[in-house]
Amino acid sequence: MLLVCATFPLIWVGGLVTTYDAGMAVPDWPSTYGYNLFAYPWQTWLFGPWDLLIEHGHRLLGALVGFIAITFVWSVWRNDQRFGVRVAALAALGLVIIQGGLGGARVLFDERQLAMVHGCVGPAFFAYCIALAVFTSGKWKPVEDDLASANLPRLQRISLLTVVFAYLQLVIGAQLRHISVMATPGFFRGAALFHLVMAAVVTIHVFQLLFLAKQQNASVAALRFPTTLLAALVLIQLALGGATWVVKYGWPEFLAQHTFAAPYTIQAKSLFQSLIVTSHVATGSLILATSVMAFARSVRLNRVPTVALGSSALMMELAT
Amino acid sequence: MSRYLSNSVSSRSFVGCVVLVLLVSSFVGCTTKAKFSENAVYILKQERDLNVEISPQQRRDIAEVLAGMFGTPDKPNVPKLGGIDIANVLDATQLHVASGPVSSDERGRARGLYREHCAHCHGVTGDGAGPTAAFLNPYPRDYRMGVFKFKSTPKAGKPTHEDLRDILANGIPGTAMPSFKVLPNNEIEALISYVRYLSIRGEVERELAYLTADLVEGERLLDVTGSREDRSEQAASIRETAARVVQKWVDAESQATPIEAPDPERDLVASIKHGRELFYGPIANCVKCHGDSALGDGQKTDYDDWTKELEPINEEALEQFLGLGNFVLPPRNIHPRNLRQGVYRGGRRPIDLYRRIHNGIDGTPMPATLVIGDDAAAGTKGLTKDDIWSLVDYVRNLPYESISLPPVIEQGYQRERL
Ligand code: HEC
Ligand code: HEC
Repeated sequence: MLLVCATFPLIWVGGLVTTYDAGMAVPDWPSTYGYNLFAYPWQTWLFGPWDLLIEHGHRLLGALVGFIAITFVWSVWRNDQRFGVRVAALAALGLVIIQGGLGGARVLFDERQLAMVHGCVGPAFFAYCIALAVFTSGKWKPVEDDLASANLPRLQRISLLTVVFAYLQLVIGAQLRHISVMATPGFFRGAALFHLVMAAVVTIHVFQLLFLAKQQNASVAALRFPTTLLAALVLIQLALGGATWVVKYGWPEFLAQHTFAAPYTIQAKSLFQSLIVTSHVATGSLILATSVMAFARSVRLNRVPTVALGSSALMMELAT
Repeated sequence: MSRYLSNSVSSRSFVGCVVLVLLVSSFVGCTTKAKFSENAVYILKQERDLNVEISPQQRRDIAEVLAGMFGTPDKPNVPKLGGIDIANVLDATQLHVASGPVSSDERGRARGLYREHCAHCHGVTGDGAGPTAAFLNPYPRDYRMGVFKFKSTPKAGKPTHEDLRDILANGIPGTAMPSFKVLPNNEIEALISYVRYLSIRGEVERELAYLTADLVEGERLLDVTGSREDRSEQAASIRETAARVVQKWVDAESQATPIEAPDPERDLVASIKHGRELFYGPIANCVKCHGDSALGDGQKTDYDDWTKELEPINEEALEQFLGLGNFVLPPRNIHPRNLRQGVYRGGRRPIDLYRRIHNGIDGTPMPATLVIGDDAAAGTKGLTKDDIWSLVDYVRNLPYESISLPPVIEQGYQRERL
């Protein structure tokens, strides 16, 4: 859980790094201007240029997540005998290391494509942590229920699709964000339209999920929370997506003629612009993570089909 | 986990997902290094106009001459042209800061400013065909023609340093061109330098293509294999061509249209009324384009000069131009401004409007005014400076004027218009 909590800000700051194009504010790696990561004078970091603040901060946070991952593996080893859980914990650590390496490579080779991969693995790691949290959560072990509801497999399938689509959508989004300046207008147009289509696809799936979860009897309260959250997040995300376009490229043509839109001047690199854009990126990660949570829970529910269900109080606990 | 999946996830949807993932990864492709691209449109235009063919060798010559003079996007060069003080227009250190890939150092000094802030719209070459361009209307500016809209100099003049600074600081309302006022002054200066650099480079490229089209078959722009005299003669003529382009930028600094403030005591109501008469009258004839109610709907079928290069009304030509690749953006009509909204892209101060009406808007159908002296004989065609101020007063009053006011006050004008 701690891992999850520490990763989210990391994604936020990582998003900021791109928003401000600060990825190359520190040209070396793993050192910062020749200093060891932790020995870099904090005065220079905090009171120096903004780009340096966020890039170095992102590195420190990344290191923190790395330490948490190590602690996590250590505690799993001591407390949990299950082989699968141990492997999964190790894999998390592996992912952190790879992600750190990718971040470093992005800086060393100054390659935007790597930046994009780095940007895509981040949320994947976040989602993975969520899945881990769901599967290792202690509350699950005693659950025995009779949830053999006909809809569960369907729920599971649609939530898996949602995960896949949400991730794809994130990857396309990263494409748009890290678009190479040499890309042709046709390429960007294709990617942008694809992003819109996928937005519709994800939205449809999310609402289907919400609908299915609502249809279930009260016993699947565990799914209510992620599906409701997902629906809310998607609505927010759609609004943020539209806003992102407007603050970066102005009102689309069919609105631009109207009196409310005509006087609008884009404010490059303004606080408002970066807030909107970074929120859009971060909400994308949240949607992915929440859909993973819905999926993981549906798998777990499906997995213990014919055992007696505990009290509804227990289920309530599950839901939170 | 697959054990639990296999029974519930149909293989069909799984295959679907895999295909999608593959599709996206093919998207991810490899990055290309930033480089200047050729002005294929203008070369084709020369070929069409003069009915010649510019050979691949000749195209390479143009590219090489340009690279020799101007360097690359990572390493720009200020050409030595002798005779003119090019340092006033292009500053090598500023170009260095604005060019190259995006990065910054420990003291927060940035590099690669153009690629960070501008290239995704204006393109690395400044051809106005950056990746995002297709969605924007108007399209981002193609600097290579050397034509700019909002400036203080007369038609066909280059913008002054001040003009470019205003554009970068204020952006262009109602278009995708952002305001960069959060950038520090030295970065703005570097970007101004870089816009000029791309514009000069682009215009020189056009001139070279023009020269090349004039060569007899087999002749080269700069023949490295030719005799010494030939070569130095060729180089001299290239340098002269470039110098002519740069000179226009040098001259611009002293060409700003002088403005005499209007009489502050003037009767504003009468001035607006006079402006209105002029607006609908036969000489200024603003109504022709801006429309009877000034909603910008007088005529909507014209094109700007950048689009006109594609010969949009000649279907066969247009097809050929568009066939060059998707960096050639499909033509779109330019619409006269809706003057009822009070949104002025070139600035909203009275002197900004005065300049727009006095000098017209370069690269667009909006014409410059034929200005006559106050003492011109009655009946001389043209407008006096006071007339222009009246038009400014009228235009500024338009958003507040009732739209139901009959477009023409006096019958006399109606007759003249017909
Ligand atoms: C989001 C897209 C976008 C970005 C980013 C952008 N521009 Fe523009 N720019 C435009 C558009 C669109 C126009 C054309 C406006 C018009 O024709 O009215 C334009 C026009 C211009 C002009 C011409 C103004 C004139 O008077 O004709 C200049 C100069 C310019 N941009 C410079 C820059 C510079 C320098 C940067 C980077 C610091 C930049 N632009 C970033 C979209 C953009
Ligand atoms: C041949 C057509 C034509 C005529 C005649 C014409 N205009 Fe325009 N005008 C345009 C177009 C096109 C634009 C938009 C140019 C652009 O920004 O792309 C424009 C823009 C403007 C603007 C907006 C400037 C800004 O900063 O946004 C004003 C003000 C204006 N015209 C006033 C006038 C006045 C006053 C007259 C009469 C003296 C006039 N126009 C005559 C075509 C015309």
